[in-house]
Amino acid sequence: MKRVTLKAVVDQDLCIGCKVCEKVCPVYAISVTGRKAHSDSDKCMACANCADRCPRYAIKMVEREEPFEVGVDVSKFDYEKIRTLCEKAHLNPEQVVCYCVGTRAEEIAAALLAGATTPEEVSAMTGARTGCTIECIQPVLRLIQAAGNELHPNPDGWQWYGVTVTAWDIPEEVKEKYNSRGFYFDEDRELLDKIVKVRTDEEA
Amino acid sequence: MSNKLMHPPIMPIAPKPSQYGIDPSLVKKRVAEMPGMCSLKLSELFPELPDVIYPGGPNALDELYEVAKAELRKVDMSMIQPDQSVNVLASHHGFTLLGGHPYAILLKAIRDVVIEKTGCKNIRLRAGVGMRFRETEEYMKRYGLDTYYEGKVKGVAPVDEGIPIETEVGTLYGIKAVYDADWIIHAHHTDVREVHFHRQIDKAVKPFSMSYARIESRSTYHQNLGPRAANFTARAIFESDFVQSKFAFGAFLNVGPHGVIGVDADNDLYAINDRATFIGCQLYGKVMTLFGEIDECIAVLDFPCPVPYVFSAGVIYANFTGANTDLYDMEATPLPGYTWYTEAFYTKKGKPLLKEIPLLNPAIKMCVHNYSWTGYPSAFFSEHIPTVVVGAEQAKLFDTEPMNIKYMDHAVIAKTTEGAMKFAYSTTGTDKVIIFDGAMGGLNCSESLAELLIEKAPAVSERVEKELMPKWFRQRGVDMSVLDKLNQKH
Repeated sequence: MKRVTLKAVVDQDLCIGCKVCEKVCPVYAISVTGRKAHSDSDKCMACANCADRCPRYAIKMVEREEPFEVGVDVSKFDYEKIRTLCEKAHLNPEQVVCYCVGTRAEEIAAALLAGATTPEEVSAMTGARTGCTIECIQPVLRLIQAAGNELHPNPDGWQWYGVTVTAWDIPEEVKEKYNSRGFYFDEDRELLDKIVKVRTDEEA
Repeated sequence: MSNKLMHPPIMPIAPKPSQYGIDPSLVKKRVAEMPGMCSLKLSELFPELPDVIYPGGPNALDELYEVAKAELRKVDMSMIQPDQSVNVLASHHGFTLLGGHPYAILLKAIRDVVIEKTGCKNIRLRAGVGMRFRETEEYMKRYGLDTYYEGKVKGVAPVDEGIPIETEVGTLYGIKAVYDADWIIHAHHTDVREVHFHRQIDKAVKPFSMSYARIESRSTYHQNLGPRAANFTARAIFESDFVQSKFAFGAFLNVGPHGVIGVDADNDLYAINDRATFIGCQLYGKVMTLFGEIDECIAVLDFPCPVPYVFSAGVIYANFTGANTDLYDMEATPLPGYTWYTEAFYTKKGKPLLKEIPLLNPAIKMCVHNYSWTGYPSAFFSEHIPTVVVGAEQAKLFDTEPMNIKYMDHAVIAKTTEGAMKFAYSTTGTDKVIIFDGAMGGLNCSESLAELLIEKAPAVSERVEKELMPKWFRQRGVDMSVLDKLNQKH
């Protein structure tokens, strides 16, 4: 659940139509047409990426007159399906995946069960990935894949490129090579596996 | 003052204009100015700390510039040809250390010596960030680096265009502009900063997976590998053929919790890393261990940077929230009280998923947020530590910032600093106050806390030297004899 309090506003006089804003928007809320950027305030989730990367400082984040909330109601879905999906992605359903918005794995899973198939759709439905827009991309991609979706990064954008290594697929020879330098690969994997299996009183 | 080691408070640096903080004019009072506060000098608490160049006399920065040039002249730069291009890579945090000028001096010295030794003049500054994408743009202007580098400066962010980097563990991603030169020079520092994340494992290498990296790599670090394997992301990227083909050398500001000790430049980044590990464990480790002895306190945030990064005696607030555990102990502390993996493992009811996950430092009875910036998800702190924010404007800033929309859900507002402190004293019942205001060369605190720290420091020092350091180094595979080389270097 995210409360959206701001929106992006483009100063048309300053905009040079470079499309950087378009390439960094995690929900495709801003686009360049007629050599000028236009932000769709209904779609804007207020991450401020466009404002912070605009080379001409042409975009400002302004307060909305009517803030709104986005989120997926987890209770409307079979929780065992949510758990199965999360476990497949090596996540506990209650685990927080987006530290800025506070979105938990269960809500991402619910969004996927509700029909989302891409990171952009997940973000639009849950608000995840619209705070710092950095740290939660991998668990979001893992969950999308676990739900049986193929990942197709936008060839014209920089939103995300692809999945990367996890604790479950580090090659043994790499572990052997670097264990002595203070990396606790297997111990951390055990810890993560233990977390995945925990059921809270509420869930039980 | 009741003890000769107690001194008048060290005035912290002034509030800075930034899009991430409130207007400096709104900061009416610094907590260090309030009755009952004093400062402790780190060189008196721990007399064995090495001498510093900065803070120092009026020529301290000039002296640092000369020291930096002398160290840089010893480095092999023969790989750089006059007609080639060089990217000097910097990171945001260096500019928050000791007022920011020392790090800027290092960046200027690097440019000057590269030109002097190689004849190459196409030298660009690429400054990476954490989560505040405009931050280094602000710094480069503030410290005149944009003119010093003749306009060849660029702030780079993790959402900028990426470049795939093939590593031993598959494809990871860097920021394209970081690597768009023939050579890269890694300009960093030994300040420990986020021990809860890197655990002093390959700290010197970390920016390759953070400020120089795309979101995919940073998310790998914080979500995919686990709390003690995370920093392997950095090593994997640094050791890739691609990065190795561009890496010229590293140049580090050797910083301790009390000031700038010197400059360390080397073509071998792992050699720098081993030396940085000693600084991190030996110098910062003592302050961190000492802070773990604090039984109860009010923690005050009073510095122009985000909540977790305000610091006291080189220790950031985020690490103080985990000071009830040994952050350097890789075996006894799989998860600190605060790190993102820990935060992720809290249930909807606000409890850890596993009983063995330590809670945030119970010694912190209340946090008085007098002045600190947005730009880092900080709601976890206000949710679990009673927090008073000074001023409605500051509260509003947090309440509308994309990374902190829930921070004020858990905090209360006081109109003034005086009101916030009065509330904290009466509610917590303690008069021990530690101020995270970046005071240079020492730390500001209440006299009552100073008494405790003075009493505990000698035993902490001995424990770190004799008991903890050998264990910390063994866990990192670092040879103790490197310490002798480090001492010779200084």
